[in-house]
Amino acid sequence: MASPEKIEYKPIPVRDLLIEMKDISELMIDLAYSAALFHSRELAEEVLELEKRVDTLAYILNMNAMLAARDAEDAEALAGVSVVATATDKISDAAADIAIIVLREIGVHPIVREAFERVEERLTRTEVKPNSILVGQKLEALKLAAKIGVDIIAIRRKKEWIINPEDDEIIKKGDVLIARGAPMGIQEFKGLAEGKIQKLEG
Amino acid sequence: MVQPKKPFKRIVDKLVELKDTSEHMMDLAYSSLLLNSSELAEEVQALEEHVDNLHTEFELLVLSSGFKPEESKDFLGLIRLGVVTETIADAAAQIAEVVLRGIEPHPVLRLVIEEAEETVTRVKVSRNSSLVGKSLRNARLPEETGMWVLSIRRGKKWLRPQPHTVIKCEDVLIASGYSEGEEDLRKLASGETVLPE
Repeated sequence: MASPEKIEYKPIPVRDLLIEMKDISELMIDLAYSAALFHSRELAEEVLELEKRVDTLAYILNMNAMLAARDAEDAEALAGVSVVATATDKISDAAADIAIIVLREIGVHPIVREAFERVEERLTRTEVKPNSILVGQKLEALKLAAKIGVDIIAIRRKKEWIINPEDDEIIKKGDVLIARGAPMGIQEFKGLAEGKIQKLEG
Repeated sequence: MVQPKKPFKRIVDKLVELKDTSEHMMDLAYSSLLLNSSELAEEVQALEEHVDNLHTEFELLVLSSGFKPEESKDFLGLIRLGVVTETIADAAAQIAEVVLRGIEPHPVLRLVIEEAEETVTRVKVSRNSSLVGKSLRNARLPEETGMWVLSIRRGKKWLRPQPHTVIKCEDVLIASGYSEGEEDLRKLASGETVLPE
């Protein structure tokens, strides 16, 4: 196993670091359960990559918090920030543990997968059919989050994974989309991707 | 489809409950931070105790299920998933504890949640709101407003939102979502706008 790299101080606002950590760790939980649900080793590997990113951010955050404290009052407040960052890091570690279960083939029993699929109202995986109205659209133009409460958290395009795609990403036919959202929205989303629904309301 | 054996089904049900509760706690913990709400933070702490108990019941069920040696990998997977939910619950409780310690949260913390991709808001459902008497499934709030209800406060109780939970007047909805949806939700709850038929 490669030894961990030395992490160098970077002057990044503590706030920005925490935002990124919170967003990535929440994304990781959803991706990790998706990896278990859809039995995807690639997705599990992506989760482990993100985990390294969160570790690095946690180090840099602590360095910045230490430098930001000028007096006892600051220290009191910033200790709280540091605890939150540690907890967020712990959540990302938990997501990584799920990924490891998938990668080591320890086994997520098919019955567990079925049970999760039954209750999991937030995650779906769907392939974009050639006649889908999503084809050729930019994510920002679709406004899926605002219109149907659905967020695309990952795209698999041939061999490549695009995690947490940017707003200017364009959906292509054959893309496999991993999305999270409300149950009704998720249903509509699947219909749109499969070309069964030809109009996006709202 | 393989027909799950009875004990196995009970184990899986327990695991599903653990997963749901731990994620609910995570949402509530971040919300408690933003709202600087010690009530919400206390709820997270209470849920943490609940998860501890659930987790013990879960592990006992696994250990007493009489699995065969060749099934041990599958059962190890179950145990590991259980541990993961417990870890998430612990982390959520840790975040809530920062709120409960009563130090005015550092401005950095509050800005974080507001500027994270999702925002958290609290709205009260008025008597003449079209949401009254609707289940969450039928209210379709995420589709209408892009806001996802995290928790419902009814009197002194916090309810965990389920699709069949019926909204009552005077309920306080704690919701997260994109900031554009906040105003839409507020208007629906106040009765200023009405849900489409």
